[in-house]
Amino acid sequence: MTAGLVLRALGGTSGRLAPPRRPDPARTLRVASLRGSPRRGGGDEGARGRLKEPHTPGPCPPFARHVPGARPFPSARQVSRERGSPFPSCPARPGNAPLLRAAAMAAPPGLGAFFALILLLLPPPALRAEEPAAEPADARDAAQARVYSAPAPVTDVARLCVCDLLVAQCDANCCCDPDCSAEDFSLFTTCSVPLVIGDSQLCSQKAAVYSLDVEANPPERIFKIIDQVNPSIFCIHATNYKQALYLKSPEIPTAENFDQLLDKFGGATFSAEPDTWNLDTDAQNPPEANETSRYEYGVPVQTEDAFLRLPSPVVSSWCSDANPAGFLVNQATKCIRSVSVKKCDSIQALSMLFYINSSILAVPKSSQMVNITVQSIVVQSLHGMRTLLSSSDVLRLPMVLDELCINAVFGVNYHITHTDTGEIIEAAAAFVLGAISKEELSIEQSFEISFTQENTQPVPLSGNPGYVVGLPVRAGFQPQGSGIIQSSNKHSQLTILHSTSTQDCLAAQGARAPVLFGYNMISGCKLRITAAMKCQPLAQTLLDVLKGQSFPEYVASFGNSQAQDVLDWVPITQLHISEQEPTGGENEAGNAEISWKKLMEYSQRRVSLLLYKLHLIKLVSRHLSYGSGQHSSCQIPVSLGIEVKWTKYGSLVNPQARIVNVTATITTTTLKQLPSGRERIIPITSSVVFTDISSPAEPSYKAWPTINIKLPFDFFYPFV
Amino acid sequence: NNSSQLSSLPLQILLYVNGIYYIFYFLTTLAMIIYKSQVFSYPDDFLAPDLAVLFLMAILEVPRLYLGFKGNLTEAEAPLGLSLGLTVGSVVLCVYLLLWQTYVLWADVLLNAVLLSAYGLESGLKVTAIAAFVS
Repeated sequence: MTAGLVLRALGGTSGRLAPPRRPDPARTLRVASLRGSPRRGGGDEGARGRLKEPHTPGPCPPFARHVPGARPFPSARQVSRERGSPFPSCPARPGNAPLLRAAAMAAPPGLGAFFALILLLLPPPALRAEEPAAEPADARDAAQARVYSAPAPVTDVARLCVCDLLVAQCDANCCCDPDCSAEDFSLFTTCSVPLVIGDSQLCSQKAAVYSLDVEANPPERIFKIIDQVNPSIFCIHATNYKQALYLKSPEIPTAENFDQLLDKFGGATFSAEPDTWNLDTDAQNPPEANETSRYEYGVPVQTEDAFLRLPSPVVSSWCSDANPAGFLVNQATKCIRSVSVKKCDSIQALSMLFYINSSILAVPKSSQMVNITVQSIVVQSLHGMRTLLSSSDVLRLPMVLDELCINAVFGVNYHITHTDTGEIIEAAAAFVLGAISKEELSIEQSFEISFTQENTQPVPLSGNPGYVVGLPVRAGFQPQGSGIIQSSNKHSQLTILHSTSTQDCLAAQGARAPVLFGYNMISGCKLRITAAMKCQPLAQTLLDVLKGQSFPEYVASFGNSQAQDVLDWVPITQLHISEQEPTGGENEAGNAEISWKKLMEYSQRRVSLLLYKLHLIKLVSRHLSYGSGQHSSCQIPVSLGIEVKWTKYGSLVNPQARIVNVTATITTTTLKQLPSGRERIIPITSSVVFTDISSPAEPSYKAWPTINIKLPFDFFYPFV
Repeated sequence: NNSSQLSSLPLQILLYVNGIYYIFYFLTTLAMIIYKSQVFSYPDDFLAPDLAVLFLMAILEVPRLYLGFKGNLTEAEAPLGLSLGLTVGSVVLCVYLLLWQTYVLWADVLLNAVLLSAYGLESGLKVTAIAAFVS
């Protein structure tokens, strides 16, 4: 419009946000989003102080009602606002009364009435376009098309506290922290935030002053809300522009306004046309409304009294109970707790009740509760052996029995199920209870929390569809007639021996390492054989050490093979090879060719055919013996080699890894009897090898197009 | 010779002072609007009405003062009445600048208060003068 041209001709008048040039007073905190106090009608205090229309139909007229008299003192002292005002409940607005009174005095009464009528009944200025209506924000409903914007800023000086960083805990030297009690204040030395004010360019505004009275014993905190006055002649007395002192909340893109936002901001430059500047203020939600009606990532999981606590080591390895569990944050912590058998039943953190007694809120700030159920209880003996209890509904509390403290919690594993809208629907806890002996002064507790979405499968994939290098190979069992059963722990489906620092096979505590796709691994241990060891139990123990407790039967050929598609799973072929010891002994097994030659010699010496056949059978069975080596001398397994053959499958540009064949080979050797008192050390190894057996790809081309030409039958008419 | 002279001397003084004061007022308010547009966030939608009001007031002021002078000096009530009417318009615009501007600074309040009081006083004197001329 022409006014705009006039403005531009004047030079420098465009609606850009220039940073206010005013000196920062030392050690005060200014909040740029804080609205000042002037121009409030109808006593609207609090965080939602919106500027109302000048002619609100409330009890308070829009002009000041008391004589300000002299200018207030230019200091931050308490200024009394009420000076004989006939409307004590209305906020004061200085400066306007003497003008009206002067005007009214000068004119005769008739004219005075005329003037007053004009001034009182003046319609709101129609010059300004789209003045926002003064309805309270909670009258706006989802009935209109919702414009999403960031949550409205906190504007109440008394509620704003920027040093309150710890949730539900008192921050040190933070005088405005609502979590601090009087005892906490007595320990403070100074207030880190002494003053919280809004924009100090306003002529008069509220300020929250926090200070410590160190003279009193104990020191106490003093909290005052005062009116801070700006003595400058250019202080803002009033403003009719709502976003004047706010940082503008950006509009959050949704499906409805995305195109419009893209038009405005999608180019290399964007204009500051204020076409849409008034729109987003209409739909700001009040901050007290239930805007977080769901959990978001990282938000602490709330229970009815405080937060779901996951004890974890803080600074040192000692357990601290103040670590809240974050939503969707899978954590596993271990920490040390100091215990004593005497105080067994009084230490709260050793009892199951401490971890399950407060129920979890399904959504934050709601009253829907989710009880924590006990999923399973594993009892651990003093030697470390664990047994799963069959009935997990009985609550076992710690008690002293025979100088031991039994039923002490050694580990808790929380498992929380949630919906895709951020609501918690189930919570389960699995406990490991153990016994503490008299001599122990501390135990190590381990805690874990994991989140799964409802109706999703708990076993994560190792690739989609082909295996991803580094992810564990998926394996399982197939009981009669059903699908594949896998362990839910993806790292314990196919495992090999994990070397320990002691390197003693028999002392290994069952440490296993998962087989990760694409990573060749080798591990081992040393076996000390004494004369007193019996062969059969030793062979069985070594087999357990090499293969582990549950060696699977099937391996998934793709990373995302489903448990019900049995044909997608590759069986593990098991081979046994018995090898000859390098030093001495009869040349019994070993090279079949040499013994074949010997046989021929035998037959040439006319030994009976029957004997020859028997010998042959013995050699063959020794060479390919399944199960235990039933021989006069002992066969113990010394190595397990897993060979995984995989191929590339699928398109040329994005080949997927697919496991074709898995072979587990156990090599056994004979164990010679030792003379008593002597001992030998035999190395035991296990290895995993991944071999790529994919044949080179041949690109295939499309067939040549065929040209189908059909000539009419009488094309060569005169000649045919 | 006071008895035959109906022109109001206080009105004349006031009109003269008003003219000088108005020049000062106009320049100051314009300067403050420029200052506000630089320091605060002053979008065009809000700047345009404020400037329009200010210029309108300046445009109204010139005939208002001229008619006031002429009417008072020639002792004619018609120009003085017209000037009174224009004063009403000026009062309205002044109240706008006092209350409904985008940013009302304390200096704005002072300037407009003084102007408004001057207008009020003027109006009273004009009415008295008209009454004197008519009768």
